[in-house]
This record gives sequence, C-alpha cells and structure tokens, in this order.
Amino acid sequence: MDADSDVALDILITNVVCVFRTRCHLNLRKIALEGANVIYKRDVGKVLMKLRKPRITATIWSSGKIICTGATSEEEAKFGARRLARSLQKLGFQVIFTDFKVVNVLAVCNMPFEIRLPEFTKNNRPHASYEPELHPAVCYRIKSLRATLQIFSTGSITVTGILWY
Amino acid sequence: MFRSRIQEKQPGSAFVFSSPERTSHLVKGSEVGPELSGYGLRVHVDGSIKGSSFQRRVTISPKLYRSVIEDVIEGVRDLFAEEGIEEQVLKDLKQLWETKVLQSKATEDFFRNSVHSPVFTLQLPNSLHQTLQSSTASLVIPAGRPLPSFTTAELGTSSCSASFTLSGYPIHVPAGVTLQTASGHLYKVNVPIMVTQTSGRASILHPIQQVFQQLGQPPIIQTSVPQLNPCSLHATTEKSQRIETVLQQPTILHSGTVDRKHLENATSDILAPPANEREIMSEALLSQPESSQYISLPGVVFPPQVSQTDSQVEPVLSVSGSMTQNLNGRPFSTSQQGAQHRHMSDTQLHVLKNRMFGCDSIKQQRNTEEPSNLPVSEKDSNSQMDLSIQVTDDINEIIQIDGTGDASSNDEIGSTRDVDENEFLGIIDAGDLKVLEEEADSISNEDSTANSSDNEDPQIDIVEEDPLNSGDDVSEQDVPDLFDTDNVIVCQYDKIHRSKNKWKFYLKDGVMCFGGRDYVFAKAIGDAEW
Repeated sequence: MDADSDVALDILITNVVCVFRTRCHLNLRKIALEGANVIYKRDVGKVLMKLRKPRITATIWSSGKIICTGATSEEEAKFGARRLARSLQKLGFQVIFTDFKVVNVLAVCNMPFEIRLPEFTKNNRPHASYEPELHPAVCYRIKSLRATLQIFSTGSITVTGILWY
Repeated sequence: MFRSRIQEKQPGSAFVFSSPERTSHLVKGSEVGPELSGYGLRVHVDGSIKGSSFQRRVTISPKLYRSVIEDVIEGVRDLFAEEGIEEQVLKDLKQLWETKVLQSKATEDFFRNSVHSPVFTLQLPNSLHQTLQSSTASLVIPAGRPLPSFTTAELGTSSCSASFTLSGYPIHVPAGVTLQTASGHLYKVNVPIMVTQTSGRASILHPIQQVFQQLGQPPIIQTSVPQLNPCSLHATTEKSQRIETVLQQPTILHSGTVDRKHLENATSDILAPPANEREIMSEALLSQPESSQYISLPGVVFPPQVSQTDSQVEPVLSVSGSMTQNLNGRPFSTSQQGAQHRHMSDTQLHVLKNRMFGCDSIKQQRNTEEPSNLPVSEKDSNSQMDLSIQVTDDINEIIQIDGTGDASSNDEIGSTRDVDENEFLGIIDAGDLKVLEEEADSISNEDSTANSSDNEDPQIDIVEEDPLNSGDDVSEQDVPDLFDTDNVIVCQYDKIHRSKNKWKFYLKDGVMCFGGRDYVFAKAIGDAEW
C-alpha cells in the first residue's frame, strides 16, 4: 500500500550491463589510435570507449568481446551497444553485432524507514547473510529471480541481478 | 589513450623537443592560462619568455626555433655530404624550413618581438637611377622621428647612403625619396607617404625570401634576405591636388646565398608592383594625375615552389604593358589600383627562392595569378579599399594551405608505457568488474545462448547475425565531430588522471600549438571535463 507505492516510486535503474560480440578480432591499438574517446589500458589489454549519447562505457577486448556499462535502461543499453559496434565498423573492422545480452541490471531504491539488520537477518535465515565486519549491508539473495539485494540499515536497497546463462 | 580535443593529430609547426639543451631556453615564467576551447579545458603553463618583449601570452622565442633549425641542419650536414648531396640542397632545405616556420602562425609574434623596427632603406633622390641599378646602402628612416639617426647601411654602398632604422609604424616618408626595404624592393616615392602596418595582416604574412630576377640584368643587388611584414602603404596626398604616387619595384636579380640572418631583423615591407627595372619604371613615371590614393600593400607571400621556367622577359613586359595600358585607359584611381593590384599580386606570387632558380623568374605564377587577382581587384571600386587584404586573402589561403599542409607526425613523445605513471580509474566497480569478468569467461565457455532472458527482445542467436544496418538505426552522427581541432600539444606526461568524467593532466616539456601559435612549456597542468 503505502509502503509498496513508496517502493515503486523510489526504485531507479542506475546501471545496465550488457555484452555482445563482434565476431571478429579487434586491433586494440588501432582502436586506441584512431577511435574517438578511447582509453587504452595496455597493461590489461583492454580499450575503454566512452559514448556520450547513451552515456555508456564499453570495454573492448581484442577477441571481439565487448562489455557495455552505464546505460540506464535495457533499451538504451542495446542502442548504445549497436552504436558502439557501428563506430567500430567505421574504424574498419568487420563487425557483426551478435550475442547481445543484458547481463546485469542494477537498481536502487530507498525505504522510508530504517532497518534493523541483525533482526532482519535472523528472520530471513536462508536468504540473508550478514557479515558486519566485511560489509555493512545484508546480502539477500533471491534465487528464483536471480537477484541479489543489499540492504542497508538506512533503508536504501541496492538490487542487482546477474543473469547466468 | 583518451583522445581529447587537445590531442588531435595535427600538422603544424610544432617541434618535438627532446634534447635537454632546448629546455635550457625555457625559463620558468609566470603562469599563463590560455583557455583552450572545448569542454572547458584549461591549461596552466609555466612558459618561457625570451627576449625583452614579454607579452601577455607566452610566446615561443624565435631564437628557440632558430636554434633548433641550426642544430638540425648542422647535424645532418655530414650526412648530406656522405650521401653526396650538395651543400646547396642543405641550404635550401634550411631556408625552406625557416620560411615555412615563419609562414605559419606559430611565430606570429616573431617580428613583433624580435623585430623592433621595420627597416626601410631610403635613398636620397640624388642617386635614384643609380641606386636602382646597383646595390646601395640605403637609408632607414626611423618612424616618428623627423630626423633619422644614421647607421651604417647593410646593403652595399653608395655615394649617397645613410641608413635609418625605423622604430615602428607609422612611418612618414617625405616625398622624393626612394625606399628600399630590406626585402630589396625599391620604391620611388614622389609624394609624401605614410607607411603603416596593416592591422590584422601582420599575423598572416610573414617574411619570406624573395628572389627577384631580372633577366639580363646585372647580378645581385641585394644579398640580404628580404623580409616583409605586411604593411600598408598609405599614399596620402597632403595637398589636394592630384599627385601621383608611383611605387615601383624593380626586380632584382637575386642570386647567391640568401642570408637568413635578416630574418631576425624586423622588416616592414612596402609592397609595390614589381616592374622591369627600367622599362616599367619609366612607364610608371609617366605621371598620371591621381587623386588621393590609398594603397595598402600587403606583405609578400609566395607559393612554396617555384617552377623553373624558361620564360623570358616577355611575360614581364606584357604585364608591364598591360599595366601601362590600364594606367592610360581607365579612371585613374581604379586603374592605378588595378595595376598595382596586379603588381601586388605579381609580387606576391614571387616565390622567393634564391640561387636555386637561376635567372628564370616566377613569371608563370605571376601570370597565372594575375587573372585570378584581376577580378578581385576590379571588383573594388572604392579607391579606399584595402586591396591588399583581398589579394592577400587569396594568396594567404594558398599559402596557408601549403603551410599547414605539412604533416608532421605528432605522436606523444616519451609517452612511456609505465604502468606506474599511467593510472586510469575504471568506472566499473571492483565487484561488478569481477562479476563481469566471470561472466565473460562463462559466456565464452558456452556456445549456445538460450535466449531465456525475459526482459529482452528476441535477441540474436549465435547462428543468426543481426545486421548492423550501417547507418540506419545506429547513426552516430548525433555526436558531431567536434574533433579535428587545430590545437595540439606535443609533450611528455607525468600523470594523467581521470575520475568519472573529470580529467587531470600533468604534462611536461612540450610545445603547444594553439590558435596557430606555438607555446613552449616545461610544465603544464590541465583540467578537463568530458
């Protein structure tokens, strides 16, 4: 009711992570030299390319695997990924947009109330795990939804879901 | 490397500095913060100022560039000799280099800084014709002073000779004198004229070597490299009568080594139409009554290459002939201007390369440029028009295209790949990254994708390919190419740091080509937002 509506109002997708493949080997050095808005991390063998329009950052590996982060919705993530692939194509690589998958969606919501974590943990034994020395939040996993929630004592909750295929 | 606007590859006159002695020229000056355009990049530079002329901006010392050129030339001299290439070629290379450097806006303030005074050589009317023929010492009149101070002339000797160094514009030149600029132009002035410096043009036109060739004429009159600064020659009649001002410029055969040292001397130039020495002079002396003239003559700019032609004097004669015809047949103001316009264009088209091109002139260019400039000049109807600017625009466009056509590889020097120095912060959290990496690994292990994601639209299987429909949907034209700026920094970096979209640059030992001008720095700190 009120709590539900509050929750519905507050939840906000902050990050959508997706991956896709280009099906072709990418010359990182060439991307780094000729691409726009790129950061070349030679030590780890990655190129970061940032896009402005959908504000995303893509991590590009030479194998052709690209991880796209920073989008605020799945649609946007796909759009950004395609745009990224397009820009790689313009650089001269034979890019094929395949295997697009949204890998992770991160959302944040706020409870209007505070939460007592130790009690909460006790009441939600199998799902909740709480290690205050390691992390100040309760980690609540929902297996069926493949979601992980981090519940803080202030009432803010971070929901994240990694889709395993 | 995150490519921001300041790091575009850019042809320019930027030098790559690696030798330590270069930095000895650098003096820790005050902080100057030129504002680089684009996303609010601001760089504070500990620049170097050399010389007495400290301006608000950090300007590169021309001596610095000159020393670079000298060192390089000296360094390759042996190599050239080994290869069997003539010394001549080396000298030409050096001059070409110098002219290109000066041509470019990089050393825009070059003359303002290092040159304290425009140099005019005045010859007293006594030896008019003589001086035209022979090299004479000439007078250089200091500006603003009624009485010139005498200094020994650099050029030749003559019976009547006195050198006056002009301290600056405007220069009031009395009537009845012959002006000879350092470039070698000789002007016979019959009316009192004022020579001023055209504003805004000074930056564009740079001193150039001039080779004035006259077929069948006595050899070199000038040995010094003429240098031209744009200046406008305002011929104002002090009297209301119509007085002609005849500005001529005899072509001077220029051979032998061109002395570049004069580059360091300021020159202002009065550009006058070139003329065959005697013929045109005489023709020009045909006095045409003329209302007050306002002639601005730009400095001479030249196309970089001279094509050697065997064309003889005829083209020149034709030019002069046409000029005289115009002089006769047209309303005076326009005609004279037209003629002089053509003259100016001709002069401007002179490629100043000495000795390489024997006696042959650049007449081809002159002729080719002539018609193109003719319509330009003829369009101007106002006698007050600044013809030079139009012509020089054309020329400058040509010149600058050539000048900036130099492609020097502008890779960051010394950008070591040390991991220590170069730390970038990823925006992905450590946790996310770890998860992602795991995910990446797991996905790579799996070949088939079960599109079991509920939220997604039907995605591509591994078998099917989703064509990118290049350009259809995914148009990246949204972000216009704000790149390709002309501002480049070639330097070494101490540290480049990024937080989200905030960048911090700690640079060292570099040259900044900003707005066409070069700035040298030993240390630079920058902030940028992407």
